[in-house]
Amino acid sequence: MVDITLSVNGVPREGSPEARKTLADFLRDDLDLTGTHLGCEHGVCGACTVIVDGRAVRSCLMLAVQAAGSEVTTIEGLAPDGGLGPLQQAMWDSHSFQCGFCTPGMVMQAAAFLSGHPDADESQIREALSGNICRCTGYQSIIDGVLLAAKRNRER
Amino acid sequence: MAAIAAERYTGASIKRSEDPRILTGAGRYVDDIKLPGMLHAAFVRSPVAHARVLSVDVSAARTLPGVVAVFTGAELEEMTVPGPDALMALMGWAGPTPEFTLLATDKVRFSGDPVAVVVAESRYLAEDGCELVEVEYEELPPVTNASFALDPGSPPLFANLGDNIARLHSRHEFGDVSATFADADRVTDFRIDVHRHQNMPMEGRGCVASYDTDSGAMTVYAATQSVHVSKIAVAMRLGMGQDKVRVLAGDIGGSFGLKIGASREELAVAAASRALGQPVKWVEDRGENLTTSGQAREESFDVRAAVSDDGDLLGLDVKTVIDTGSYPGMGAMVPDIIEAMFPGPYKIAALGFESTAVTTNKACYVAYRGPWASETFVRERILDLIAKDLGLDPLEIRLRNVAPRTDPPAVMITGRPLVGVTTRESLERIAQLVDFPAFRCRQAEARAQGRYLGIGVATFIEAAPGPREPEGSSGPMGNESMRLRLEEDGIVVLFTGQMPHGQSHQTTLAQIAADEFGVPFEQVRVVVGDTDVVPFGLTGGSRSATMTGGVALHGARQLKAKVVDVASHLMEASASDLEIADGQVFVRGDPASAIGVGEVARRAASGQFGDGLDAQLEVEAVFDGGEGGWSGGSHCAIVEVDAETGVVTVERYVIAEDCGALINPSVVEGQIRGGVAQGIGAVLLERSAYDEDGNCQSATLMDYLVPTACDIPRIEIEHLETVPLDADVNFRGVGEGGMIVAPPTVVNAIEDALSPFGVRIYEQHLSPARILELVAAADPGQ
Amino acid sequence: MKLPPVDYEAPESVPEAVELLAEYQDEASVLAGGQSLIPLLALRLTHPAVLIDINGIDELSGVSAADGWVAIGAMTREYVAEESGTVADAVPLLAAALPLIGHEAIRSRGTVGGSLAHADPAAELPAVARALDAEFVVCGPSGERVIPAAEWFEGFLTTSRRPDELLTEVRFPAAGRGTGVSFQEVARRHGDFAIVGLAASLTLSGGAISDARLAFAGLSDVPVRAGDAEDLLVGERPSAELFDEAALRAAGDIDPPADLHGSSDYRKKVAAALMRRGLRAAADHADERR
Repeated sequence: MVDITLSVNGVPREGSPEARKTLADFLRDDLDLTGTHLGCEHGVCGACTVIVDGRAVRSCLMLAVQAAGSEVTTIEGLAPDGGLGPLQQAMWDSHSFQCGFCTPGMVMQAAAFLSGHPDADESQIREALSGNICRCTGYQSIIDGVLLAAKRNRER
Repeated sequence: MAAIAAERYTGASIKRSEDPRILTGAGRYVDDIKLPGMLHAAFVRSPVAHARVLSVDVSAARTLPGVVAVFTGAELEEMTVPGPDALMALMGWAGPTPEFTLLATDKVRFSGDPVAVVVAESRYLAEDGCELVEVEYEELPPVTNASFALDPGSPPLFANLGDNIARLHSRHEFGDVSATFADADRVTDFRIDVHRHQNMPMEGRGCVASYDTDSGAMTVYAATQSVHVSKIAVAMRLGMGQDKVRVLAGDIGGSFGLKIGASREELAVAAASRALGQPVKWVEDRGENLTTSGQAREESFDVRAAVSDDGDLLGLDVKTVIDTGSYPGMGAMVPDIIEAMFPGPYKIAALGFESTAVTTNKACYVAYRGPWASETFVRERILDLIAKDLGLDPLEIRLRNVAPRTDPPAVMITGRPLVGVTTRESLERIAQLVDFPAFRCRQAEARAQGRYLGIGVATFIEAAPGPREPEGSSGPMGNESMRLRLEEDGIVVLFTGQMPHGQSHQTTLAQIAADEFGVPFEQVRVVVGDTDVVPFGLTGGSRSATMTGGVALHGARQLKAKVVDVASHLMEASASDLEIADGQVFVRGDPASAIGVGEVARRAASGQFGDGLDAQLEVEAVFDGGEGGWSGGSHCAIVEVDAETGVVTVERYVIAEDCGALINPSVVEGQIRGGVAQGIGAVLLERSAYDEDGNCQSATLMDYLVPTACDIPRIEIEHLETVPLDADVNFRGVGEGGMIVAPPTVVNAIEDALSPFGVRIYEQHLSPARILELVAAADPGQ
Repeated sequence: MKLPPVDYEAPESVPEAVELLAEYQDEASVLAGGQSLIPLLALRLTHPAVLIDINGIDELSGVSAADGWVAIGAMTREYVAEESGTVADAVPLLAAALPLIGHEAIRSRGTVGGSLAHADPAAELPAVARALDAEFVVCGPSGERVIPAAEWFEGFLTTSRRPDELLTEVRFPAAGRGTGVSFQEVARRHGDFAIVGLAASLTLSGGAISDARLAFAGLSDVPVRAGDAEDLLVGERPSAELFDEAALRAAGDIDPPADLHGSSDYRKKVAAALMRRGLRAAADHADERR
């Protein structure tokens, strides 16, 4: 067991995970933040994507102990007070999702990408999200949600 | 006072009520469930495809700290009641039933077959425990393909069957097959193969089983397409009364046919929970999902086509062999649906159909989005091949063969009337949406520059739910029930057996009920996922739009009548003078008379009306599908094939579809696009692969490849004006259509792109390497 | 798919890390970015006794240029290298390959050194390192040694790093004027491993090819230098016919493996196609960088 402290969604948290425990499992099991999903546990599907120190990462490919001292943002913390932020709102308006299992990772990846590329076009957005698998939508509605969020952001 | 307006939700892309929780991580999937004292299960699985199990030594695993119990296959047999697969029993399967145990005892039949279950304080520890279980196997020759399975010399998977025939060969004829073939100008033979691929939902199978020792009740938190079917499966296998089992389901991360009933693993977990008196969770990981949850579509077709020189498809004679994998699932039942659907929307006058299903040492055949889809693939492929032989255009040959819409309707040679089918219109609309002549020019120019563009068309119909059956409906796909209730807070609650896993029922059903009853959308709540409160139901077969949309509509109407009746007493007005709109009951033309529906419910509950009035504001509605109907459409794809690398890009994808009246266009389009994406995936990327020893080679997402945002283009969808068949319910299902017709659409386009090389395609999976092989075989100079 | 039990150490300096490696030898796995190692652990394909997490050794990160070489610390994140102006200017072939590695989230954690120490022959960076004759600096109990790329890649996921050595830095020669590059790849999907990949660098001088560096990914258990093709090209003026001939030579020279994603024959055909395309693109790029 390794004692760690880290900031999760702006709140200091601590735990004593085994070294082998992934950040994904630590978030879900130890911190009860089950919004981050496990889709493959080998780093391909992107469902587990969270933001660590400003970068989107696959939380199934990080050990919890490696996040000690870091700032982690999960889907639960993307918008203030658990409401809907502008990206989430745009995705709601665009009917972006169906079963919702890929959603947290997709939203976090999109959020991270948009914050660095606010004027991205469709093909750039597709490429940025190509590491997040969705089995329900065929992606178009997700892309539309991201484009809408970017557009609204520019107009603000 | 302003007039109270009635809003029209049906037909509008109302935002989903599911989304606020989905978008904020507040969805509740099986793996999110945590119960006090909950343990975790992991399975010891066979590394070999076919073997006798000589011994299972769990002693080391049992002593690992953190491991609470280990149950072998033999122990689980003592703890459960042997019986047939619940889904097969439900669907009335009368064929040969293989005998096998819940977990493997004497033999394993596919790589990944579960042999023991380890229950521990965490999944980590359970997996550690699995590594300590020692199993001795005596390998047997693996049966890894259908032709070996058909050989009587192949070692039988199931001792009681004596061979590897899961379903005996049968032949049926419709129309005069021999005369049709004798009189035809030409008879051509084709052999077409569809490859093994699979559902791969983002969430795998899993459950939390929680047995209460005091009450003897079992609660199962499931990921399922029907809580009632899961309940039946659990009760049967555990030998429990139905009243002692409750199945709950929250959010489900996709299924596409996979999660029906209860898998062997889920039943083992339920048995473990009962034995331990503690909740036990099992959620499969991706490796398990890819190798053991089940696979689909491995079917071969020998087809003989009787054709006129002008391009009339007069008759088909089909022999199919279905590789159903190891344990029974849907495989043995699917030939019936394939046979029934084979004529499609065409004038085919004669059909011969033979089928055999075999068992092999591979994962078992499960339902996958349009399980009968190969009939469309084979038929639409053959039409293109015939068109090429005769020098006809692919649109032309289809338009020539489409059954005209007549009254009374044309009847498929296999028996179902083609009522309301708009195939002709959808093909004509494709020709308007896509400029074929311009494409042919562009194609020719591109070829001159060494680039290979192609265009493909395919059309389909699906029984969503299908036309009214003269004999009435029966079986689990029959009538649909719903309970509707007006609560005292004015909320209209719908209790449905539907179990949405992406279909947005909580939104679409609320739209229909809100419109019909007269409350705002936000004042309707759809309750799913609890066997204690919802009626029997199952989400699948593209039937819910009609069946559940219909029962919601009629049920809301019935409930409204009751409410109006009560209100008429309250308001001392005649029921026929009352309206409900925007959640208010009022006398027509007198907005000031309005009272809230909640108020009516409160007053009804107060008992002020005495016994003379039925003041129970609840109805149990049943709907038989009304006139039912077909869904269908035509798809068109433009692709580019890189002839040096075999890489295919789908440049454009256009759809003209007819699903009747749309409840929510965005939901409809999302379902269609998702299905098309899976169809594109099947052709270009997805293959459940085994080597000759029966080892699964697509055991991670690095080898089972599904399409990403860079692989699926924008999909243009046009909805056709439908032919209304029913006075009220003209919504038809779209869940499966995209996946059914996208594969032939894309393969037709690829063949068109490669026509300069003389390529003919008789298979569905076209990896880049395979495309170069086809080019080299057709044009050795390449 | 949970990781097996394993001990964990997090050294804060290179000497500390080396001491641990000396103690555990091949019972230890070095944890850098984790993007390759953690999946192997999750699939329980490897069961090291201890993970030596070097993410806390700050001195292992950084990009610097000196004396015609660009030194990249082993722990430099792939995204940092991707955003580095120094890499873009001086090691354009590396800059061309980096965006093809997996997806952005992978590159957030994956490291240049980690990828090269993992040595997957289908990965992009090993082909780049082999093409450019990069140098690998390892630190062991008896000090530092420098290993040229030709000797670094020994076999499938195997390098000449000894179990008690830590890769600390990789050095790439700086590309001069007139050097153009191209990284060509056929993968099943964007971001996947290469079925076949080609790292190509051409230097033009006075209109003729003065230097040709070509290395394939995905054709063997190590990256494969297309030496015969290189020999053919040096001294010649770029032309389609020359490039066709080079492609033939390259394809004729190799015996690629077959797997789920492609037969041996397929890989040969693709190798030839990528050679033609890569040479054309590198030559055009060289022209721009005159």
